[in-house]
Amino acid sequence: MSKIGVFVCHCGENIGGTVDCEKVAQEAAKIPGVEVSTDYKYMCSDPGQTIIKNAIKEKGLDGVVVAACSPRMHESTFRAACAEACLNPYMCEIANIREHCSWVHEKGEATTQKALDLVRMQVEKVKKDLPLSTIKVPVTKKALVIGGGIAGIQAALDIANAGHKVILVEKEPSIGGHMAQLSETFPTLDCSQCILTPRMVEVAQHPNITLYTYAEVEGLEGFIGNFTARIRLKARSVDLEKCTGCGMCTTKCPTKKVPSEFNALMGLRTAIYVPSPQSVPNKPTIDKEHCVYYKTGKCKLCEKVCPTGAITFDAPDEIITEEVGAVVVCTGFDVAPTSEFSEYGYGRYKDVITGLQFERLASASGPTMGEIRRPSDGTVPKKIVFIACAGSRDAAKGRPYCSKICCMYTAKHAMLYQHKVHDGESYVFYMDIRAGGKNYDEFVRRAIEEDGVNYIRGRVARVYERDGKLIVKGVDTLLGGEQVEIEADMVVLATAGVANKGAEDLAQKLHISYDKYNFFAEAHPKLKPVETNTAGIFLAGACQSPKDIPDTVAAASGAAVKVAALFSKDQLLREPVVAVVNRMPPPVFSTCVGCSLCVDICPYSAITMENIKDRAGNVIKTVASINPGLCQGCGTCVAFCRSKSIDLQGFSNEEMYSSVMAALHE
Amino acid sequence: MEKKEFEPKIIAFVCNWCTYAGADLTGTSRMKYASNVRVVRFPCTGRIDFMLLLKAFAEGADGIIVSGCHPNDCHYTAGNFHARRRWMVLRGLMDFLGIDIRRIRFSWVSAGEGAKWAQLVNEHVETVRELGPYENYKKAAEYLKEGMYNG
Amino acid sequence: MDKLKAKLIELFQSGEITLAIGYKQGTRGPRPFFCRSASDVEQMIFSNDYQPNLAVYLTKKEVVKDEKVAIVCTISALRSIAYLARENQIGQSQYKIIHLSPNDELMIFRSPWDIDPYIEEIPSTPSEDDRRVIEMLDAMTSEERWAWWAAQFSKCIKCYACRAACPMCYCTRCIVDNNRPQWIDPWASPLSNMEWQINRVMHLAGRCVGCGACGAACPEGIPVHLLNRKILDNIEENFGITAGLAPREGAVLNTFKPDDKENFIK
Repeated sequence: MSKIGVFVCHCGENIGGTVDCEKVAQEAAKIPGVEVSTDYKYMCSDPGQTIIKNAIKEKGLDGVVVAACSPRMHESTFRAACAEACLNPYMCEIANIREHCSWVHEKGEATTQKALDLVRMQVEKVKKDLPLSTIKVPVTKKALVIGGGIAGIQAALDIANAGHKVILVEKEPSIGGHMAQLSETFPTLDCSQCILTPRMVEVAQHPNITLYTYAEVEGLEGFIGNFTARIRLKARSVDLEKCTGCGMCTTKCPTKKVPSEFNALMGLRTAIYVPSPQSVPNKPTIDKEHCVYYKTGKCKLCEKVCPTGAITFDAPDEIITEEVGAVVVCTGFDVAPTSEFSEYGYGRYKDVITGLQFERLASASGPTMGEIRRPSDGTVPKKIVFIACAGSRDAAKGRPYCSKICCMYTAKHAMLYQHKVHDGESYVFYMDIRAGGKNYDEFVRRAIEEDGVNYIRGRVARVYERDGKLIVKGVDTLLGGEQVEIEADMVVLATAGVANKGAEDLAQKLHISYDKYNFFAEAHPKLKPVETNTAGIFLAGACQSPKDIPDTVAAASGAAVKVAALFSKDQLLREPVVAVVNRMPPPVFSTCVGCSLCVDICPYSAITMENIKDRAGNVIKTVASINPGLCQGCGTCVAFCRSKSIDLQGFSNEEMYSSVMAALHE
Repeated sequence: MEKKEFEPKIIAFVCNWCTYAGADLTGTSRMKYASNVRVVRFPCTGRIDFMLLLKAFAEGADGIIVSGCHPNDCHYTAGNFHARRRWMVLRGLMDFLGIDIRRIRFSWVSAGEGAKWAQLVNEHVETVRELGPYENYKKAAEYLKEGMYNG
Repeated sequence: MDKLKAKLIELFQSGEITLAIGYKQGTRGPRPFFCRSASDVEQMIFSNDYQPNLAVYLTKKEVVKDEKVAIVCTISALRSIAYLARENQIGQSQYKIIHLSPNDELMIFRSPWDIDPYIEEIPSTPSEDDRRVIEMLDAMTSEERWAWWAAQFSKCIKCYACRAACPMCYCTRCIVDNNRPQWIDPWASPLSNMEWQINRVMHLAGRCVGCGACGAACPEGIPVHLLNRKILDNIEENFGITAGLAPREGAVLNTFKPDDKENFIK
């Protein structure tokens, strides 16, 4: 028989003014299993808590029901009080007779009766409660940061500066990401390289950071605090230890006409190459697709000229595993495939380029040394048209979202153009100008008012070539839909930001969720913007949605703090409200039949199938198993399980059944 | 006259994060509503076992409210989506069996919709009051007590 | 039919199988036949509308243990096998799955996964009689339906033949065997009988292939399979998931779409 204590709080007049608390306590005393039932003015006060603690000790209570305010208010207070009196805190339940009763009903018999019913429901629940203990998860204090753009760099530095080890994995030969490709940055027009490259160097030199470039995460297993990552170090055919970065190989390489990815395919590079002069590490990689040796089996010129013997042809990829406690995903974004924009002539006309290509033209380290010149004939364009929302906010192209950064960078591009080509004319076709952000609208106004950029509100229908000019045909909706035709020398498309190719694949490897555009999904759009649904995996930057640099850096630092907080203790404590698949002695092992349908229902990928084996290693039975490190305790699997083999601690089938029954029993 | 004396018993199955919090807000805003409802708190609508709804009717409930977070607001991301499908199927089945599905009110009430909660309870109490006690179900439940089976 | 028999004889003689599960003539129609030798194959009979659904035996360890099994499948049994494979209840090439198509073509499926392309072409449809009863019930008022079913369920003796006949009811502990809590009273009363049926049908929602074996097995003649059929219709109407095809992206109740219908939620 249970020994349950019921403690009815008056909350001053808040409950006592409407509910006859004394009567509730008297009636509750009659419920079988209730050992003591009493009421008090303020249960949450020190003397109130002492009443509970003393009763637990004196009467040897094995369960407590406090009838008071919402459990969302004081459940933790009363549970802590029970724990102090050596009663398992999860044996304490709250009957909400304030928010759900005294405050919402008139004084009277029915309200008091309801309060008693609410107490009875919790008394019956407590009878079925089981003592639970906090789940302790050990934490490996090392973080994995995936992606070495500005988000990854910031997150890695912040975590490393907090004193924790970081592994930074970048798939390209150098870190830096898209930001390294940019010329100047809005809204201050400071040079991207100048603010980014010191951070890149800091990453390379930081004692707490291990940098793997030209590497990719192959798989991630485990759970918060205890992940195992498999990382593929792609063979770059250059031994980074031996290489001094002298550059002899790149000057001698016979393959010199490979379009440079770093220059957005505007310039050329060799087959053995360093993406940019500021690369970190500033050491070359052999592009096997274009290398003469890899194509024909002959050449090896680089090997011959290398003074340190650092060239390692035919070395295989290497796979390493790393134990980490947290993961920050910073894989960034891509720009929409330009093949989509046939109406704008992309691909047909050399002088129709993307925003990213314009960045390279405007960059001092770019193919034109920062001069704006036409890719077709190298002349300086005198009339330039920028088309905003190329592929964004376009349901027809499957992308109804706003890419967020384009309004700002288009204004920046137009401004840079005006600064570089003083007699040039620039036009921007836009849908709306979205310049929310510190000093952002001022920046756009400056482009319009001070630099004389012509903004035309309307969409461009078509771009075609006539007599060496690009004819841009559009409408000006502010002039009542009047047709506009501009003879331009160059057209720049503000192409939409899209999820990286392979984002979906990576999300599946990491067991995190993603939206229909393949951007990674945050755990909560407002309150958990850098968390994913998988505990211990965080997000930062444009892999989540298009973001500008300030937002990206803020998110990266936010994610880093989450990681640092996680690493601040040796053990992670978690509420024991988790689902458990039953286990029993052989030959049953579990009532689970292993249909595995619950695996898909779990929003946290916490359920896996476990093979129960005999001593010889033969599989006897396959049953579901829930990782308490991943489970968040929603209980969706519990209600779904046909054989009732899963139960949720703290909200078990017996507990909930008893509460419902009690609600209807007088 | 008899109808007026009937006070329906309503059991509400709600999730902790949205509707329970919404009902708390109704309280902190001191909005009044009918006292016929007894709330059972679940972590998530996904946790609500359809059997509990049936048992509530069998035990004498005249009406049921099931409510959780609005779509896309689920604290656990998808529990309410799973629950929604489960209810869709259950409702169809119950209706086919002749169970009075007007007695079950499904809703989404967010943590900010205190007024909606009060309105939801009042409306459903009135709906069920109109429908009267759920005698059919109770009769089936009392089959044993009537001595038709003495196993 | 001759092709089927010849194939089975060949399989027995080559030692590829030791047990063929099929049908033979019983007192009141076809009955399951556990054929263990080539000489007995002669007794085998087959038609695609036979009951029971023989796939039910594939999850019974006492039947298939240590045997090399061929199963002669109706279209419904094929559907069940496809589902059982999805739910990890039968192995990749554990059984020889033999089928005689309605146009008398002998088909052997190497793996349960090969079944899908075939059954995709054949919709699972109820019989004319079943359709008529469902339409009759749909036309009734809610109270009339309740009375109709209450009368039906008062006949139920809780023998669980409906469960035993269902290939998808393979749980080792059914909810009715669970007494913590005692979800469903173990004795036969209209309410507990109905609660059992609601559970059975809900547990089969999105998994039922519509074979009708449950209804056929009922000794009291309660058309419990109509409940399953109604759910199949509902699922098709509401979620666009075709009856009898194991959906690749999970079952109906363990998946969702954010834009699922919710016209009943106010």
